[in-house]
Amino acid sequence: MHMHKIFKVLGKPNNRGEEMQIAVSGGKGGTGKSTIAINLAIALKEHFDLVLADLDVEAPNDHLLLGVELQNESPVNSFIPHFDYSKCIRCKKCAEVCEENAIITMRDGTPFLMPTLCSGCRACEIVCPVHGAILEGQKLMGYTYETQTPYEFPLVTGKLLEGEERAMPIVVAAKRRAKKLNKELLVVDTAAGTSNTVSKALEDSQLIIAVTEPTPLGLHDLGLILELAKIMDIEAWIIINRSDLGPKEPIKELAEKYSAKIVGEIPYSERIIKSYVEGKPIILTGCEESEIFRGLAKKVIKYLR
Amino acid sequence: MQIVIASGKGGVGKSTVSSSLIYLLKDKHKIIAVDADADAPNLDLLFGVETWEEKKELTGAKVARINHDRCIKCGICAERCPYECIKLINGNYVVSDITCEGCGVCALVCPVKGTITLEEVRSGVIKKTTTKYGFPLISAQLDVGRPNSGKLVTEEKNWAKRIMEKQRLEHMIVDSAAGIGCQVIASVGGADVAILVAEPTPASLSDLKRIYKVVQHFREPAYIVINKADLNPGFKGIHEFAEQEGIPILGEIPYDRAIPESMIKMKPVVEAFPDSKASKALKEIAKTVEEEILKK
Repeated sequence: MHMHKIFKVLGKPNNRGEEMQIAVSGGKGGTGKSTIAINLAIALKEHFDLVLADLDVEAPNDHLLLGVELQNESPVNSFIPHFDYSKCIRCKKCAEVCEENAIITMRDGTPFLMPTLCSGCRACEIVCPVHGAILEGQKLMGYTYETQTPYEFPLVTGKLLEGEERAMPIVVAAKRRAKKLNKELLVVDTAAGTSNTVSKALEDSQLIIAVTEPTPLGLHDLGLILELAKIMDIEAWIIINRSDLGPKEPIKELAEKYSAKIVGEIPYSERIIKSYVEGKPIILTGCEESEIFRGLAKKVIKYLR
Repeated sequence: MQIVIASGKGGVGKSTVSSSLIYLLKDKHKIIAVDADADAPNLDLLFGVETWEEKKELTGAKVARINHDRCIKCGICAERCPYECIKLINGNYVVSDITCEGCGVCALVCPVKGTITLEEVRSGVIKKTTTKYGFPLISAQLDVGRPNSGKLVTEEKNWAKRIMEKQRLEHMIVDSAAGIGCQVIASVGGADVAILVAEPTPASLSDLKRIYKVVQHFREPAYIVINKADLNPGFKGIHEFAEQEGIPILGEIPYDRAIPESMIKMKPVVEAFPDSKASKALKEIAKTVEEEILKK
């Protein structure tokens, strides 16, 4: 568990012109990650040339909150093996090496692929001793999009195809597409949870903003994301959303345990819900809630500069 | 019968609906509950579970390790890793073990045999308890940074099935994770009926459409529960989608502070605040579930 600590070579964010990255996460679903991410991105746009990446590829919604339709669709295809049975020598090596058990073999060694299990890793192709026995096949896994928003920053979105199991290739493809834009700052919105697809989204961040709510459920899942941030050696801040919902003491105790700062509290607000459902970011309305996001943006700017 | 509760979007009320249905049905029916959200398991918190009777560690996840003494620093592994998990750090190639998918490509392409090996690691734990209400609960917790795997959910369900046989239970209620990926597919697969929870927002509708496609893959009958139904009065998207697809709406739960307050009490809302607006709606839904789903 210590190996990846060295991934983070710099303890502090850099100001040497290298790309900066912050991520909005939180563990529990529906705590307000996307709301925070889009409003923060709008506030930060005045200070950074940025791209927002929606890496919640199983349930991407940032475009809806920004009131835009996804544009510039690009398919994410994954390799699948196509067997040329005239060349296959029935050695079963492809099946043996497949960690997903996606290749089954008949008694005589004839391989068959179960495409839904295939991760596209190419281990079978690599290990096959006969040139041309495994041919290049393709399977559509999902899409990435690059959408111009009315707020002068692009949104890159990953979207897993319904029925596909593997989110990782889409997260990797979408993050790559966002990084290719060579912006000064990448703002990442992650999925719920703390699996390796979330770590992939968080990777290379200088800051994780963990959004939670003051319920035992929010607290429990916040603990997991703070643990992940600690393992990855990334600074974590906490925002308590719907802060009037319950007692905040337990969150404060947890924050202290992980030396994570609580940087903002957002009370339950009809106006935020309205902005959310209408796809009109709250930060543009100038109401008192928008000040919370501006205050958060200021802290982020100070941290990054 | 196996009923799965899913939503696509997180935080719309899956666990609220699951915990309340389980609570309301537990006396008349023999039920086992399965919390299939291994990333963020919450049912145990809603049923006030304090101790677990049995725990099983789940291994099976694999991560690659590079032996630095043997490594010739050719970089082929980093180049070929499909998920960009290997990086050159201080002169050594290092696998990030919280993003590695364990496919083993790096070990295969490495020109020096035995330099890269796949090591089995713990991916999480599955747990069983009998709740204070008398029904058994199976839950799981994925270790942070591990590949999310449908296998974990399948293990949970298999365990639940064995208990069902032994204790002669009738119904399994599965509370799925958010999203539509492997965990959710393993939760939905094998169910007899799917109850899809949505709230009247464009984001929830978008995710509802996605989870419904997954449910359709398995040709399961689906029902919709609308939570926070009065949140956004002008929005008819969920109703329109339900009508268009012919999905029955089981009921609508109004926004009610009793729900978060019941979470703080660590009880299903129907137990903590039985007379609240939300509980009344949930009781109607449970009645419909009994009449429409369980009796079939």
